[in-house]
Amino acid sequence: MDHFARLGLPAALDLDAAALDRAYFALQRQWHPDRFVSRGPEERARASAEAASLNEAYRTLKDPLSRAFYMASRAGVEMPGDGKTIDDPELLMEAMEAREALHEAGTVEAVDALAAEARRGVQKALAGLASLFLANDRAAIRKALLRLRYLDKFAEEARARRMNIERSNA
Amino acid sequence: MAYSEKLIDHYENPRNIGSLDKSADDVGTGLVGAPACGDVMKLQIKVGPDGLIEDAKFKTFGCGSAIASSSLVTEWVKGKTIDEAEAIKNTDIAKHLALPPVKIHCSVLAEDAIKAAIADYRAKATRKDDKAAE
Repeated sequence: MDHFARLGLPAALDLDAAALDRAYFALQRQWHPDRFVSRGPEERARASAEAASLNEAYRTLKDPLSRAFYMASRAGVEMPGDGKTIDDPELLMEAMEAREALHEAGTVEAVDALAAEARRGVQKALAGLASLFLANDRAAIRKALLRLRYLDKFAEEARARRMNIERSNA
Repeated sequence: MAYSEKLIDHYENPRNIGSLDKSADDVGTGLVGAPACGDVMKLQIKVGPDGLIEDAKFKTFGCGSAIASSSLVTEWVKGKTIDEAEAIKNTDIAKHLALPPVKIHCSVLAEDAIKAAIADYRAKATRKDDKAAE
């Protein structure tokens, strides 16, 4: 079953986070193993399978980026898997320059400024995705998601860089 | 996970880090990325008048295996013809560095980077020939 359908929610990129939580916790109670202890093995197995699928659906949809990737795969957008390389010069140049700037950032403030810029980039790219999904423009969705993946990686590297600077200042 | 001595050496003392003039006619630039892990790799070659690669530089943001793979490739291609450099296979890189299976994709990235640099150099050379023929 589709993750959105499992939670009884519309398949939308701008999913209401509170509605997602409510749907998840209600269904989680419904399929909780404690309620099935006195039932037969088949019913217990079904409940635990349902609970596992429910958890996976919630995990996938909770994070906006992972939700966007899930929606893309539903829309038939093929993303390069492990070990696949890309050569989009515009995207890679942007990623390279951002990582160079991060590498050169010597203070927590400088790293935070770069991280804030990347976060704005993520927000903007996610906002732009909604109309691409509506238009079902697969090539543009793929391009936007590749960029989001690099922005996400940048955020991770910025956290690591920040910790390194703090440690060396301590 | 145990890494080989060669891998650690290339990671700790990377060879040929840096950049060459991207706009120069005798420089080919390859820029490739592995989106699944967010790696980005730039590899450049400078080809001499004798057709041999006289210099190579790289800049890689990625894991240690990606850095070691690109460092090794820049070392290997120096003094080779571009045809010889093009024949470098990711499996050669992976074998030399004894990359663990989960890191094989880093050697794929390095092979793609050198191929992209060669393609860029050739495209420039063709444009130059076309101009000369006019």
